[in-house]
Amino acid sequence: MPQVTALRAISKAQNGVGAFIIQCKRIDFHYCDWYGSSRGMNSFITNELSKFGKAHPNIEITVSPRPNKHPIMVGHYINGHQKAICVRNLTKEQVHQKADLLRMASGEKNRKVMRKPVISTNENVRGMWSPFHAGRKYEI
Amino acid sequence: MITAPMIAVLAFQFAGLEYHPPEGDQTSIHKYPLSTQNLGENGYGATQGQEQVEQDLDRSQWVQETNEEYHERKAADRDRIAKEFADPDLLLGSPSPSVARQSAKLAALHARLSLPTRFPLETLARTLVHPTANPSSEYNNESLAVLGTDLLAYYAAEHLLCHYPRLPMSVLFAAQWGYVGPHTLSAMASEWGIEHAYPGDEVEPGHLMFMSADQSPDALRMQEQAENLVLKGTANVLKRGANWLSQRDQFGEMHPSKEILDQMAEATKQEGLRTATAIDANASFIRALFGAIYLHCGRIATQRFFTSHLLSRQLDIASIFEFKKPKYDLSRLCAREGFDPPVARLISETGRLSRHPVFVVGVFSGEDELGQAAGASLDEARTRAAVAALKSWYLYSPMEVTKPSSVEGAGNKSKWIPNMVDPGEVVT
Repeated sequence: MPQVTALRAISKAQNGVGAFIIQCKRIDFHYCDWYGSSRGMNSFITNELSKFGKAHPNIEITVSPRPNKHPIMVGHYINGHQKAICVRNLTKEQVHQKADLLRMASGEKNRKVMRKPVISTNENVRGMWSPFHAGRKYEI
Repeated sequence: MITAPMIAVLAFQFAGLEYHPPEGDQTSIHKYPLSTQNLGENGYGATQGQEQVEQDLDRSQWVQETNEEYHERKAADRDRIAKEFADPDLLLGSPSPSVARQSAKLAALHARLSLPTRFPLETLARTLVHPTANPSSEYNNESLAVLGTDLLAYYAAEHLLCHYPRLPMSVLFAAQWGYVGPHTLSAMASEWGIEHAYPGDEVEPGHLMFMSADQSPDALRMQEQAENLVLKGTANVLKRGANWLSQRDQFGEMHPSKEILDQMAEATKQEGLRTATAIDANASFIRALFGAIYLHCGRIATQRFFTSHLLSRQLDIASIFEFKKPKYDLSRLCAREGFDPPVARLISETGRLSRHPVFVVGVFSGEDELGQAAGASLDEARTRAAVAALKSWYLYSPMEVTKPSSVEGAGNKSKWIPNMVDPGEVVT
C-alpha cells in the first residue's frame, strides 16, 4: 500500500498575477431634474457618462432619478460592500473624479495604512537563516 | 402601490459586443435579427453622442408601471416568446436568450473577464443557467459543463504531470482538486462577482440561476438521500484492483455506476424537485464557460484563459503531502533506485539538556545528503529529515517542459521535446 496520502487544499487567488478582476462591479448614478445641487451630476451624465462607460466596460452603469434629493453615486463591489458618495453642488469634473474614486476602490473599508511588514506567501529565495548553518562560529 | 424603479440601460454599455454567432449556432439558440427596442436607433455599440444619451434619459418616454401593468407586459412578452420558440414552456426557468443583448450586467461580466469579442453574450447567458433552473438541455449549461469539465481536467493534469513528473497518485489527485475542484471553481465564481438568483423568466440575465438546496430543508434531505445511494453503491468497489483507476474521476473519487445514477434520478424524480448547492451551481458555471470558450474561440484562447485564471492561483504542493512512515519509504526508495541505504547523522545541536533542545539531522546516502531538518528531539529531526528527502524526490520539477497541448494544431512550428516520465511512486 502507498504510504503517502494527501491533504486537500484549495488554491488561493492572486488577483493581478494572471488575470485582473476589477473589484467595482457596478456604479449607480442617481440624479434629480429639479434640485440645483444636481447641476454638475446632470451635466456629467449627459456629456461624459458615455465616454466613461466606453472607457470602463467592465463596470455596470445604471442611471436613475432620485427626485427632490441630492445626487449620489453608489459603487457596488465584489466583496459585497457598497460605497455611496453624495455629489451635491459638485462640478462636472469633480463628479468625474468621484466616479473614478469609486471605480478604483477595492471595496474594503478605509483604514489607516499601518507600517506592517509585508508577509509573502511565496518561499524565501535565499532560504531561512539558521544559526546551525552560519559560516562563522562565534567563540565565547 | 409598489412601483418598479426607473433605471436606464444605455446603449454605450454594449460597445464591442456586436459579434453575433453564426446561424445555427447550438450554444445560443435564438432568432435573428434581435429586437432593438430599448436601445435607440443606433443599435448596439454605435457611436453615441450627447443627443443619444439625452434621448435615453428622457424620462417622459420611460414607463412608470404598476404591478398590474408589469404583469400585463410580462404576459405580452410570453406571447411573443410563444410565437418565436417551438416550446415556450422550456423557457420558463430562465430568461429568453434574446434579452441577453439588453443586459448591462451581462455585458459588464463579459468585459470584466476580458472574454474574446467572438464570445457571444447569449452563450454567456446560457452558461449561467443551471439544470435545476431550466431542465431543458437546449437552454441550460449542462452540455457545455460536460465539455468544460474534461477541458479543465486535461489542462490541469497536463500541467501537473509535466511539471511534477514524480508526484504520487494521491497527491496528484489532491493537487488536481486544489486547482480545478468544485470548491476552487466556486471560490473563483464568487471572486468574479457572480450573483445568484431564484430561477424565473423575469430574472435579468447575468445572475446565476439555480434551485438552491440551502433554501429548502426538504430539498437538502432529498439531496442527502440521493448521495447516500451513491455511497452505498460505491462502498463495495473501493478495493484497489486492476480497474481501480477507471472507476475514478479526475479527483480520485468514485464514479457512480449507471445503476446508481438511474436510482438517483429515480429518487429525485419521485420527489419532484431537483436542487443544487451554491458550490455545485458556481462550479457548473465555470465549467460551462470553459466549454463555451472552447467552442467559440478555440483551443488557444481556452488555454490562455486557463493559464491566466487557474494556473495563476497559488497552491503549495509541498504542504499537501502526508507521510505515514517516511523513514521506511525513504529506505525503500533508495533500495529501488540503487542508492546506498539512507543513514541519519547529527549535524549540529543545541541545548540537549535544556527545555528547548534543537537537533539538526541530515539523512545521507553514502556521501550524498538527501535531506536535512531540525527537530526538538533526535527522532523528530530524523523523521523530518526523511520527509524533506522524500519531498525533494517527489517534487522534482524539470527545468524545460514541453506540454503536449503546446505543440498541437496544424501550422504549429514549436518542436516536441519528450518529457521525463517517472517509473512511479514507491509502493511497499
